Amino acid sequence: MPPLLELRGLTVRYRGESGDTTAARDISLVLQPGEALGLVGESGSGKSSVAGAVLDCLGPSTRIDGQIMFEGQDLLALPRPRRRAVLGRRIGAVFQDPFTALNPALRIGAQIAEPMMHHLRMRPADAHRRAEALLVEMGIARAADIARAFPHQLSGGMKQRALIAAALACEPPLLILDEPTTALDVTVEAQILRLLAELRQRKSISVLFVSHNLGVVRRLCDSVAVMYASQLVEIGPAERVLDRPAHPYSLGLLASRPPLEAAPRGSRLPAIQGQMPIAPQPELACVFAPRCPFCEPRCETTSQSMVEMPSGAHAARCWKTGTLGPWPRQAISAQAGPAFRPGDALVNVTGLRREFATRSGMSAWQVSFTGGLPRLRHQVGRVAAVDSVSLTISPGEVLGLVGESGCGKSTLGRIILQLIRQGSGSVEFDGHDLAMLAGSDRHDFRRQAQIVFQNVGSSLNPRLSVGDALGRPLTLFGLADRRTRAAQVDALLEMVRLPASYRLRFPHELSGGERQRVAIARALASKPRFLVCDEPVSALDVSVQATIINLLADLRDEFGLAYLFISHDLAVVAQLSDRVAVMYRGRICETGPTAEVLAAPRHPYTRTLLASAVDDLPAAGVADTPPAASEFLAVNIRGG
Amino acid sequence: MAWPIRASATAARLTEPAVLTLPTAAIRRWRRLPPALLIGAAMVLVLLIVAALAQQIAPYPFDQMHIRDRFSPPSLRYLAGTDEYGRDVFSRVLIGSQLSLLLGVSATVISMGIGVPLGLLAGFRRGLLDEVVMRGLDLMMAFPPIMLVLLILAITPPSIMKTAVIIGVLSVPPIARVTRSVTLDLMSGEFMEAAHARGERTWYMLLRELLPNVWPVLMVEASLRVVFAVLLGAVLSFLGFGVQPPSADWGLMISDGREFVDDAPWISIAPGIAMGLTVIGISLLGDGLREVLDPRLRGRR
Repeated sequence: MPPLLELRGLTVRYRGESGDTTAARDISLVLQPGEALGLVGESGSGKSSVAGAVLDCLGPSTRIDGQIMFEGQDLLALPRPRRRAVLGRRIGAVFQDPFTALNPALRIGAQIAEPMMHHLRMRPADAHRRAEALLVEMGIARAADIARAFPHQLSGGMKQRALIAAALACEPPLLILDEPTTALDVTVEAQILRLLAELRQRKSISVLFVSHNLGVVRRLCDSVAVMYASQLVEIGPAERVLDRPAHPYSLGLLASRPPLEAAPRGSRLPAIQGQMPIAPQPELACVFAPRCPFCEPRCETTSQSMVEMPSGAHAARCWKTGTLGPWPRQAISAQAGPAFRPGDALVNVTGLRREFATRSGMSAWQVSFTGGLPRLRHQVGRVAAVDSVSLTISPGEVLGLVGESGCGKSTLGRIILQLIRQGSGSVEFDGHDLAMLAGSDRHDFRRQAQIVFQNVGSSLNPRLSVGDALGRPLTLFGLADRRTRAAQVDALLEMVRLPASYRLRFPHELSGGERQRVAIARALASKPRFLVCDEPVSALDVSVQATIINLLADLRDEFGLAYLFISHDLAVVAQLSDRVAVMYRGRICETGPTAEVLAAPRHPYTRTLLASAVDDLPAAGVADTPPAASEFLAVNIRGG
Repeated sequence: MAWPIRASATAARLTEPAVLTLPTAAIRRWRRLPPALLIGAAMVLVLLIVAALAQQIAPYPFDQMHIRDRFSPPSLRYLAGTDEYGRDVFSRVLIGSQLSLLLGVSATVISMGIGVPLGLLAGFRRGLLDEVVMRGLDLMMAFPPIMLVLLILAITPPSIMKTAVIIGVLSVPPIARVTRSVTLDLMSGEFMEAAHARGERTWYMLLRELLPNVWPVLMVEASLRVVFAVLLGAVLSFLGFGVQPPSADWGLMISDGREFVDDAPWISIAPGIAMGLTVIGISLLGDGLREVLDPRLRGRR
């Protein structure tokens, strides 16, 4: 059978202010009819550029060379109008962000019907009827209602289902998915993946699946292509690439994923050191050599091409394929860290409840017409973001707080730090009720309790140099005078493993991982005893994520810090936490030692969360959602 | 382990070419600046030099009358001709630049001095303060500015500083609104939350965390305000409510030249050209600044 899609020497260049940058270099791969191919890599590896080149959505300042053979014709050689016709009709696409991909002014049904009317010349009534049928196929219960709904009435998962329906409307043989589940919660992600696997079997469509998440790729794809620094570094059947990778980068990526099990104190994740080169020069040397623990002299002087493995159908761009050992682990730190001693609580939260107004200001004024004269009423809607939450954290203890977006976990963290007013209940720190603290006591609490944020883009002031950002808490809390400040800033940088020269840099000159290191150093500058880590690794790539988790573990052991570690990712939480608390809709539904919660979850929601996080589920539709889960999945449908 | 050391050695190798290409990179960056910025900056620079050295450059004192040379057309002796008293128009235009700039800059300084703190505080504090400030500004904007100025200047004796203060106050609402909207945007940044978590004082957050980030946008807005003040000042002088004779003011000169516009058009045209060049120069500078500083426009170049 001829391949459905074949890329031959595809090269994508972006013309920029300072010369061209090559996003994808000489990419060749083949997608057979009915096959699902995962294209994997970190952000900046060029994977989305490859998908974008096929979908012709990279904009005018790009140069695309090579051939994109689809159903026997080269898409790049086609004139624009004919290429457009192929795109909507023969190739469907779903992108990362379901929240912005739908037109907010049009009903869902109309948006699914549109491509059928346009490409298949269907009559509007027929197209709308088929749109509803498609929604049913997507596993949407009240399809007729949903078709009439507007995008803002649907949850993220529902929107993504609608977008998949729109992509499949013209029954294309190829579906291109660019990170379709990245913006969704784990439980919803699991459902969408199950749906995609099902659709693949039923309709025998081919899928090009772009993702940074190896677990997700494993669940859906037959074969996997790994990209690094604009090059294809490994390609082969999924079970070979993911279980016996031939390229050190694939090996490192797999090794640095946190396993879903409690990690003892003193253990560290294997991590890929360094970072991806911004302007790789693969003609000179292996692009991965600077980060590769298996690197030999020839790797730094001679470039290599894809080497076919003896097993066939599996190739990697490495001189040493087949001779790699396991990825080296960072040596376990000598002082495994004092295990915390449960005793007097450092943080003690009791019966906390915090409501937010859902309707306030002008919109809270409503005219009521019931009985007699119309009356103006001030009616404020309220929702409890945090509800009867009690927890304790001992000195030196790490409490993991897991839950999906909107469950109130970030609000809870901010209330403990008194960044949000606390409502009813009490928060005690070191035996003092925080609501009563004033003046110098409050100042001292600020020094002892600090926070690290998720968003590496906005956690540092863009106009402050790293040195100034780190120096400020030192000055504020009187920990350094003019003369010792520079030396202490250097010490802080060293603590988060950054060179002292970074003192002079500004945030835009740093990578995401480096910014997060600076943010951690800033939080630690005041020598706190307690740190709230609010999704500190969620915005980072897998390999960077591992290094930051290791850093947080090192700091925990070195300084005996207590963390409230907030994350949606159970595996990440398990790496650092002594105990885990699971939060669902404002309440803590389960807490216990990490190993116990993972091994024997009691609450049905915890079970759902665990089931969604396990990544080597058999592919299509074999493993069903645990029965208790349906109750929680109903959250998906909001409003109409 | 041996390999981290090698990794740093490779990192050093990677940075080497970057150091070598630095000068060319600087030149390229200079070349990449929008032409509007370069032209505008050059024009404003010339304007500033002229205004600073007007007394030295001007061939005659601005109020010296050459009775025998009344209404001379432009010549080598009188570059832009003379007016009805035989005063050299060119010299008067040069001196007039001082008044225009003085008015434009002082009005803008006044409006920034009031508007920036108001906008910062309103965006930072939100709540009642925000409501009061913003509704007050809305009220101010509801009056047509020219009416307000005319009213005040018609019932009290005019002076250039008074004109500057009134125009400055009139420019407070746009400055405050721009400042507030940028501040609101910054408030959602996590670096602001980090500052709260350190228990920073209000003034530190306003001056060190917020203001430096608002500054680029304010520079653009300020250039627009200078243009507005120069034009409004000229309009007032033209109507006789601004600078009083015999001062050399552009608006006043245009107004005085009206009577003779058929026979001696240069009396009005010369200050008109000067004013046009000033406004174009400052506007170009502002546009250019916006192109460089506004991240939303950065990709389009």
